[in-house]
Amino acid sequence: MRLDPHFQLIEGETATSGADIVPRSASLIDIRQSPVRDLIAGLAAEGDLYVLRDASAPPPLVDTDAGRVWLQTSGTTGIPKWVGHDRETLSARIAPGTLGDTARWLLTFNPGSFAGVQVILSAMAGPHVLIVPALDASVADMADLAVRTNVTHISGTPTFWRAFVMALGSRPVSLKSLTLGGEASDQTLLDILRMRFPDAALRHIYATTEAGTVFSVRDGKAGFPRDWLSGDLTLTDRGTLAVRGRDTGDVIEVTDGRVLFKGRIDAMVNIGGVKVYPEMVEAHLLTLPIVQEARVSARPNPVTGHVLVADIVLKPDSDLAEAQIKAHLQTLPRAQRPVSLRFVTHIDVGATGKKSRVS
Amino acid sequence: MSALDLIREELTQILADKGAETGEIAADTPLLNGPLDIDSLDLATLVVVLEEKTGLTPFADGFVLFHTAGELAALFGG
Repeated sequence: MRLDPHFQLIEGETATSGADIVPRSASLIDIRQSPVRDLIAGLAAEGDLYVLRDASAPPPLVDTDAGRVWLQTSGTTGIPKWVGHDRETLSARIAPGTLGDTARWLLTFNPGSFAGVQVILSAMAGPHVLIVPALDASVADMADLAVRTNVTHISGTPTFWRAFVMALGSRPVSLKSLTLGGEASDQTLLDILRMRFPDAALRHIYATTEAGTVFSVRDGKAGFPRDWLSGDLTLTDRGTLAVRGRDTGDVIEVTDGRVLFKGRIDAMVNIGGVKVYPEMVEAHLLTLPIVQEARVSARPNPVTGHVLVADIVLKPDSDLAEAQIKAHLQTLPRAQRPVSLRFVTHIDVGATGKKSRVS
Repeated sequence: MSALDLIREELTQILADKGAETGEIAADTPLLNGPLDIDSLDLATLVVVLEEKTGLTPFADGFVLFHTAGELAALFGG
């Protein structure tokens, strides 16, 4: 794929036209060190491309030369998984824009994530303008950048959007398109966004690792219309949504005319778009010799959707070592760290013999 | 202790824990786009502490938009 000369990349202080980015086969791009410009050159070429963002899982480097783009999932289990995507599948849902109707996209996702690549490809196909914040930019930095560079299109997680409207305050941004994905979108947030950006097309998308983007909802209401529950989308016996016969583990509730998401059937918790398993955090706590028992549970949170909280039973004769436990938790990725520690004398075990994780 | 004092205390703690600079926090100090080096997860942590210490759950029915320390304090009883 040749880059359209009308495509424009704004990265840091540098603006680059599509004509100046030469497609280049690169087997490996380390997104922590390479500019997004290199990633775009690699995406526009044809060979196998490995996009590294977490060095704890080195790329498999199977030399298939099938022209796949290999991305790391965000590490639900702690160690990221590599998934190869055909370039065609990656761009399947991306429609080229109309010349003269240029979108100015802000990249809010990590450039090496599936969602990030979707935004990059959308801007490339437009051909539109892609505005790339620094890799360590905060949402407040992104809000400043959006104001400064007249961004019109933004896709982000619900957690991103809550922080974005908070950081933006009353400053004007002429958004035309606003997309939410990566977590279930709640009605209060959709209403706030509708009011704050009345002229923008508002949609929330549902995607799975296996199937990619499954559908997008454009009516500004949480969940999706009930009559979509047919064909590819079905309700399983255990009350979850299946996509093409594959159980997603997402619990749904079918109401009058609407299907709503009600969390997970397994213990997975979505914290600001990051998938976390509380059992793994419990296991991590239990590796500390002073911890006898631990229960980590999810608590609803208005900012990040959920947070983890921990109940901890210390071994007899252990001094209360909150600092030691906090330091031990620092070795986990941030989303996995319980934000509140409660020291208790025992942990209730439910009738099933399992620790109750309902907080 | 007022909710604003509680916010001051907890934010200072959160900033100190991550080695960030601490400073004056007033009612009109913006939480995410001001002088404080905090992000969504820090803010989520702050909300949990406020819920635990005040026993109030102003977000039980969903997200309520707030920008400043004072606006958040108002949600927790001022």
